[in-house]
Amino acid sequence: MKQTWKQTAIIVFLLLFALQTWMTYQQYKGSGLSRVPESRHGAGGFISSAHASVGNPSPVGSLKPVQVSGENLPMYRTTDELRLYPAVEKGLRTPFDLWRYYGKGKTTFGTPVLPMRFDQWIEFHQKQKPELMKDVRAYMNSRFNFSGAVIPGQMMSGGRKAVMAGPVARLPAEVESYESLAGLTAEEIRRRDLFPYKPLAHPIQTTAHMLFPDSWTAVHPEHKRIDVDMDFPDAYLPEFPPPLFLTTHKELGDISGGQEISFDNYYEIFDGLITPEQMEGLKELLRPSPTTWFNQTQHRLTSQPSDGVACLDCHVNGHTNGAIELGPDSRPNMARLRVDTPTLRGNFNLMQLSSKRSIRSLDHFAEIEEYFDGDPGMQQAIGPRAVKREVSNRMADFNAIIDYPPAPKLSPMMRLIPSMATEQELRGEKLFHGKAQCSACHYGPAFVDDYMHDLKVERFYVGRPEGPIKTFPLRGIRDSPPYLHDGRAPTLHDAVEFFNLVLELQLSRSEKDDLVAFLLCL
Amino acid sequence: MARMPFLNIDRAGIERWSRDVFRLLVGFMYFQFGLLKFFPDLSPAEMIAEYTLGQLSGFALETRTALTLLATLECAIGVGLMTCLFPRLIFFLLNFHIIGTFMPLFLLPEFCFKFFPFAPTFEGQYIIKNLPLFAAAWILIFPIAFPLREEDNQAVSPGND
Ligand code: HEC
Ligand code: HEC
Repeated sequence: MKQTWKQTAIIVFLLLFALQTWMTYQQYKGSGLSRVPESRHGAGGFISSAHASVGNPSPVGSLKPVQVSGENLPMYRTTDELRLYPAVEKGLRTPFDLWRYYGKGKTTFGTPVLPMRFDQWIEFHQKQKPELMKDVRAYMNSRFNFSGAVIPGQMMSGGRKAVMAGPVARLPAEVESYESLAGLTAEEIRRRDLFPYKPLAHPIQTTAHMLFPDSWTAVHPEHKRIDVDMDFPDAYLPEFPPPLFLTTHKELGDISGGQEISFDNYYEIFDGLITPEQMEGLKELLRPSPTTWFNQTQHRLTSQPSDGVACLDCHVNGHTNGAIELGPDSRPNMARLRVDTPTLRGNFNLMQLSSKRSIRSLDHFAEIEEYFDGDPGMQQAIGPRAVKREVSNRMADFNAIIDYPPAPKLSPMMRLIPSMATEQELRGEKLFHGKAQCSACHYGPAFVDDYMHDLKVERFYVGRPEGPIKTFPLRGIRDSPPYLHDGRAPTLHDAVEFFNLVLELQLSRSEKDDLVAFLLCL
Repeated sequence: MARMPFLNIDRAGIERWSRDVFRLLVGFMYFQFGLLKFFPDLSPAEMIAEYTLGQLSGFALETRTALTLLATLECAIGVGLMTCLFPRLIFFLLNFHIIGTFMPLFLLPEFCFKFFPFAPTFEGQYIIKNLPLFAAAWILIFPIAFPLREEDNQAVSPGND
């Protein structure tokens, strides 16, 4: 009897203790140290004072005052089905479906400190990398069928690499075909978890940063990382090295002659062809500078100290090698979207640069480029790029003469010249400007509207909404797979399937093929 | 030398009493440290625990779910120790749990040791402190889970001389 009484007392005590912990936790959420954004219920908490003082607007006339309460303060929050970012340190791997997670960071600022000794860091990654890469390959294989199929007769502009055929995104077993999937509503696709074009996360988002394709690290072993390799097979990335066309020397065709333009050869190639300012700009685009993880300090992901990375290490020959980074527009780092390197071709025509930052000029872009030095804390430790205005201006001067590859089938009005086009390409063009609605956002000389659009793709899967993203130009598009900002559409067929689903176009199989045929002409 | 007067009191009583307090405190520690793991961001062991569970499950188990399971386990052990309910089950859980808690020392040695095995980090010390706790829990729960019976006494005694 006495025993049960004691046991009951202990259990009651523990329950009360747990309750008190829970109540205090509700207040802790959203405070400076917490990864958990402010709680939905009750605006109170350790940081409540600021809210309390702006709340409760005074009543106007007979209108009922709107009480700022826990219920309507977090208006339009959509975190219900999301998970909180896992607690991880630099170097630890992250879920491949990180787009299902959300949360706050401890702080906006980074530190140049590793969580362990440098030799342990190397050892740790030697152990982790093979396991990680095995899982990365398995994950990518579960998302995509990289069969190696090519579109017969279609090469990229340098003529060295085939354009890959698709769609390669795998459909869930229960879905018969892309057409039957497109027959379902967004709601149903989301509920049954059927969407084949969910975002891609960086394979290791605690270190994240620049990740180079195998074709690049084969000739630039100084950029091979100790923690992770590229997850995309080379075949599905741009040709390397790509050709370089100049707006100022169309008659010369590819200026690069099939080489990678480097510090060693640029002078010889460009002397006498471009202006002194462009020349200096090109030199700066080729000059490596230390970055967050490629540098001379121990806060690095290379076994040897690194000179850093140059602009044209990713934007090879003014195009792209398919290297990835994280978009620098958000924190915590876990929230940053994976972005693959866009081409610099035709940038002279763009009014908006980068997926989400809406940068308005090439000069500005070259000056601030944040994936190098977006974190002032890091800059102090590693050494800022610190490009002066007049220099970044000249980088932009070179950037501004990089042209798209020739598109002989297009008229000055960016329409197919009928005598040069096939029946299928013409059908594709008609769809592009008609039923498929592509030209609503992709028009003009570069097939881009220079707006950011919220495609609201999260209607189709459970995930953190990605928000507005800039329209990317379609001129020369065959040369820059994989498609969309994070490369989730590896082929043009996939990009078309993506828009067929997202814009709910109900295109037939052959109409989609026609569209691809047209895109290959741009 | 004369015995100190306070040593003449009921020694068996004090021993029983301090054993009970000890059991309550060890149990409470299991309970509280487990409780924290239910709440994202509260437990200092969160990262190590999540990652170890992730690694053990081949990163198949969603780490938050895994941590909730661990939290339940620790709270159950705590409640069991404090109330002496289901002592055999608790004894089993305890042994299962200690194996898990020691995994990080081998799976994430870089995070647990400044240099292995002599200089544990804060996390390493946090894990190693489970060893005395575990030993204490054994001392406390084993006699309750498997109390000595008459027959046992007889069975054991022949070997004793
Ligand atoms: C990791 C390799 C990498 C390096 C090195 C790099 N970039 Fe980029 N670049 C990218 C990625 C990835 C994006 C897309 C960023 C985004 O969407 O927010 C990008 C976007 C751009 C854009 C905008 C293109 C567009 O269509 O919106 C410009 C301009 C640019 N980079 C110039 C530069 C310059 C100048 C440098 C050198 C200071 C540089 N880049 C270095 C990867 C790189
Ligand atoms: C509502 C505006 C809109 C419409 C309509 C639209 N697009 Fe896009 N397009 C975008 C945006 C925005 C992006 C960038 C999305 C991203 O990166 O996540 C994009 C990207 C693309 C890309 C990838 C570009 C690259 O460099 O990765 C392709 C290919 C493309 N669109 C083709 C099409 C086709 C084909 C159609 C018609 C079926 C179409 N788009 C209709 C807005 C639109």
